[in-house]
Amino acid sequence: MSEPVLAVEALHVAYGPIKAVRGCTLRLDAGETVAVVGANGAGKTTLLRALSNLLPHESGSVRYLGAPTERAGPHELARRGLFHIPEGRGTLGRLEVRENLRIAYDVRPADRSFEAALERVFERFPRLRERHDQLAGTLSGGEQQMLALARALINPPRVLLVDEPSLGLAPALVEEAFAVLGEFHAEGIAILLVEQNVYSALRLAQRGYVLRQGEIVMEGPSAKLLADAEMLKHYLG
Amino acid sequence: MLAEQVINGLVLGSMYALIAIGYSLVFGVLDKLTFAHSEIFMFGGYVGVLTVALGVPIWWAIPLAIVVAGIQGLITELVSFRKFNTPDGHITAALSSFAAGIVLIDVTQKFWGSDPKDLGIPNTIYTASTELFGLQIVYIKLAILIVTLLIMIALQILIARTRMGRNIRAVAESSTTASLLGIDVKRVTQQTFFIASALAGIAGLMLAMRGGFADPNVGLSFGLKALAIMAIGGMGDVRGAMIGGILIGVLEGLAFQYGLGKLSEVLVWVLMIVVLLVRPNGLFGRSVNRELRA
Repeated sequence: MSEPVLAVEALHVAYGPIKAVRGCTLRLDAGETVAVVGANGAGKTTLLRALSNLLPHESGSVRYLGAPTERAGPHELARRGLFHIPEGRGTLGRLEVRENLRIAYDVRPADRSFEAALERVFERFPRLRERHDQLAGTLSGGEQQMLALARALINPPRVLLVDEPSLGLAPALVEEAFAVLGEFHAEGIAILLVEQNVYSALRLAQRGYVLRQGEIVMEGPSAKLLADAEMLKHYLG
Repeated sequence: MLAEQVINGLVLGSMYALIAIGYSLVFGVLDKLTFAHSEIFMFGGYVGVLTVALGVPIWWAIPLAIVVAGIQGLITELVSFRKFNTPDGHITAALSSFAAGIVLIDVTQKFWGSDPKDLGIPNTIYTASTELFGLQIVYIKLAILIVTLLIMIALQILIARTRMGRNIRAVAESSTTASLLGIDVKRVTQQTFFIASALAGIAGLMLAMRGGFADPNVGLSFGLKALAIMAIGGMGDVRGAMIGGILIGVLEGLAFQYGLGKLSEVLVWVLMIVVLLVRPNGLFGRSVNRELRA
């Protein structure tokens, strides 16, 4: 078996006084889409924030592309291709749309010029072309989600961590966001998707983990998890 | 003469603005106030003294002030801010940077005494003047206005158009998001401290050149006033700091002209209280109190 791109072993993370992640072990293979689902407060966001080293780990290990990540800052992981779209999309609202994209493009050396990369992004997200010189804070929620995804597309990462892309979006926009993630998958980007929207997430992913009170209580191929509706319902409360 | 007092006010305001911009930049990026800033400004005057002591042309003091003040800013960041990055670190950082400023005053006084120190430059440098449109214009004041204008233009370009400026604005808005986008927040913080401090150093040097002496007490009087100006202009708002500085300088000049004398000194503090009562985020601040606009 080849080395996973992201390997998490018995990870414990405290969020303030709360032990939010308790001994999680999970893996993400190259090119795979994996969903981590769970109820509100199950520890999903804490898990992702710990994976990109925004939060310190109490114990356990995280390996990205075979190397331990414990000494790296979040920006170093981003530069190595571990890209995290945070909860709430991380829009830099007082910067222009184009500047948001420029920062994401600058994250690491790219194989095409900014203009060419921008053109490719605008082809996929024509709305962003129309609004390229607006402050990103003036975009609608759906457009901000597109911007968040576009920032990943402009300089494609190896691994994409996505926190709750459906949050606060109308169903049609959720569908669009998931469609874009599907395209990222087709391009070979490994995706770790954290979602409360269990069914959409598991339909997109090949495998899934169910997180409950900081522990992984179910795991397996998405189809198998979806088939066990009774159990899923029980854990998701 | 009214017009002359306006010019004096503009010169004064230029220096206020340069210092206030520094408070604003640091506050924008870190959400914290640096109380060492006013003393880095004060020390700018002593860079003038040092330059003369080195025996090099006095104009070398400008690049020297940038380097010396910039390094002082980096040291301040390292000892008084780097460790205190938790939400309750604001007060710790404020106290620590205040202490760093006091240390700088004491060291300065140890070397050069507690009285104002003559720069030892020919007095023609700060008295030579020319008549322009019936006004007696002192060259050094004109030079201060030009230098300030150039610095402000350069700063606008830096913040609005360069990668460093973009990164500074990104960190000012959200250091978390910035780091997830690959921005080295620590480095951006250092760059911010360097730039902010360099501006204060130049302001301190210009103040000393205008009067022909360096004064160890200007930090606590003049320098702290710039803090009030930042609050008036809008916490963390660079444009507010620029406009606020010039505005207060001119108002003080006018107050002096109309015989308020020493009372004009108190103007800024009263104005700060009033502005904060009416607009807690300052004249240019939006409802969000962290604003760093290009």
